[in-house]
Amino acid sequence: MAERLEDFGLSKTMLNKGALQKVGIIGCGSMGQEIAKNISQHGFDVVFIDVDEKHVAEGTAGIVQLLDDEIMRWGMTQGEKRLILSRIKGTIDYQLLSDCDIVLETINSKKPGTSIELRKEIFRKIEKVVRRDTVIASNTAVLMISDIASGLEYPERAVGLHFLSPADSVKILEVVRSANTSDEAYDLVCKFVTMLEKKVVKLLESPGNISTRMIVVEINQACEILMEGIASIEDIDETMKESLGHQYGPFELADRVGLDKVMKWMDGLYNEFGGSIYKTSPVIKRLVRTNYLGKTSGVGFYKYDTNGKIIGHTITCPEIKL
Amino acid sequence: MKIIVLNCGSSSIKYQLFEMPSQEVLAKGLVDKIGLKGASIKHSRSDGVEIKLDGEILNHQAGIEYLLGILISEKYGSLKDLNEIGAVGHRVVHAGEKFKRSVFITNQVVEALEECIDLAPLHNPPNLEGIYSITRLMPEVPQVGVFDTAYHQTMPDYAYLYGIPYSLYEKYKVRRYGFHGSSHRFVSQRAAEILGKDLKDLKVISCHLGNGASMAAIKDGQSLDTSMGMTPIEGLVMGTRCGDIDAGALLYIADKEKTSIQFTSTLLNKHSGMLGLSGVSSDMRDIESAADTGNQRAATALKIYHYRIKKYIGSYAAAMGGVDLIIFTGGVGENDFVTREKTMEGLEFMGIEFDKEKNDKLRGKEEIISKPGSHVIVMVVPTNEELVIAQDTYEIVAEIKN
Repeated sequence: MAERLEDFGLSKTMLNKGALQKVGIIGCGSMGQEIAKNISQHGFDVVFIDVDEKHVAEGTAGIVQLLDDEIMRWGMTQGEKRLILSRIKGTIDYQLLSDCDIVLETINSKKPGTSIELRKEIFRKIEKVVRRDTVIASNTAVLMISDIASGLEYPERAVGLHFLSPADSVKILEVVRSANTSDEAYDLVCKFVTMLEKKVVKLLESPGNISTRMIVVEINQACEILMEGIASIEDIDETMKESLGHQYGPFELADRVGLDKVMKWMDGLYNEFGGSIYKTSPVIKRLVRTNYLGKTSGVGFYKYDTNGKIIGHTITCPEIKL
Repeated sequence: MKIIVLNCGSSSIKYQLFEMPSQEVLAKGLVDKIGLKGASIKHSRSDGVEIKLDGEILNHQAGIEYLLGILISEKYGSLKDLNEIGAVGHRVVHAGEKFKRSVFITNQVVEALEECIDLAPLHNPPNLEGIYSITRLMPEVPQVGVFDTAYHQTMPDYAYLYGIPYSLYEKYKVRRYGFHGSSHRFVSQRAAEILGKDLKDLKVISCHLGNGASMAAIKDGQSLDTSMGMTPIEGLVMGTRCGDIDAGALLYIADKEKTSIQFTSTLLNKHSGMLGLSGVSSDMRDIESAADTGNQRAATALKIYHYRIKKYIGSYAAAMGGVDLIIFTGGVGENDFVTREKTMEGLEFMGIEFDKEKNDKLRGKEEIISKPGSHVIVMVVPTNEELVIAQDTYEIVAEIKN
């Protein structure tokens, strides 16, 4: 007869079982891939979900690519790669979320306009299958958690958990609470963030949190400087990196995020706050209309080669003569 | 007195139950993949009864609870209840400059070890988890810490300081500490015992060659120098660690490959050594068979491995003003007779008369492998770090009880 490990525990002192073991990720896009990899790397099981098998397969292939890149840069071994992949289960079946402790929605809708309805629907679908104490989180940058959670039976379980890219190297996470968020849900997410070896940045819900609200203004101002013919794309980026210690300049960052997404952020914040500093710059609108969407499309403010290396820029600053 | 010896790694716990002072091993086992998928406990009792159990083991405490549960179970256990356990001995990797020998664990000791986490961020935290867990589960049971670094605390400053500004030593304790202390201590004492000599009268070079590898120069019965430094990266070429390397080369690599500190650490600890050189494996057996079938890189990797050991033998002989005894131990040192032969080759000038025949095919046994009359004695002595921990624990606890 097979014996079970559980039969041998000193039950009187055993810890609560199942504490923070499994995390669901909804959305297999580039951010979902980075997040799933980072979470699995820290020992959690991950259920990785998208709308169809094709997206799931692409998402999983994306994670394999991230891991291979890391091995190439000496950051990981083949054995560690296998271990990380073994903990990630790609699927389209929401039922597999049933024993997750936290489920994080991180969809990246390509459709124009707000994604609020889509996210609300996903939240409801998650709630149908998970335990009563499972936390449902959103990686949204500009939407309000209380809005997304408004269709839930238990909206107090909803928390904002905003990962910044690259998910591995950014050592903070914005953890957002709405007026409804319960202490239990919020504390669980904070504990989870600590287990990911990141620092918790606590904040109340507000469009754009800290990071997106600040960067949107910086990108817009950079576009203003460019349009006024004051300085070139490269020099503006270089100045922000060297003088303020930013990892990326505003144009480089906008290209990495995707200009269509940047435009969505700006529209969202402008709608909410109304200040012109948030209003999408005509330069960004023009690039998006031309389908120059940034690094992933090979051209944005910069031009990229097939390896993603910058090889030039699209908008030239007029020559300045004083 | 029944003593449990715990060696808590990042995701595993090796354990043995000793009867002391008879040194009898009553049971031993391995808790594996803690906090990961596929976690398990493999347990075996001295009478040959074995069991492997799979299940969820969330953390070290859960692993320790299960192993204690098995130890008191009717079917697989060796104890009636936990009160029979007289003490627990822990292997702790890094004690910095704080402890020069094994110690009885008190709150102050735990605090001191917590301060050493910076020096061994991968090893000390799981070691401490073992201590915390026992404190929670069996608060009455005395615990002893046995440190890898403690044995080498006898190194003089001219052996442990690096040629960098002294202020960095004062500020961050950047210096050489050395590891494998329990092993070097055990095999040197055991060798002297076998030879019927006083260790204090011998100049000893101890070669602990395993997946990690280090050598020690032992003079007047204590460690004078050792090849590992502030971290286990320094010294010999190992399975996946690089050993001695020009710090300037690291700066150059980091600049060229744009590697972060974390990635550079993985490069030096996991991608380097015999694995990185040979491209075959980190296991000496695989590399030797690859070299035998004509793999040139594998052959070169082996030459580098042997050459580095030989260089250290020469330098330690110079440091001690001679050598009387060379000891091989650790997985490779105990079993790989090719490595022993190659590292001894050409050292006749030092007074080593190596006995090839006795060495050939010798695996894992105490044996003298130099010829009778050889000026320098060469020996194989299998290491037993767990026994060192059990002995230290027994002595310290017995002394306190008296």
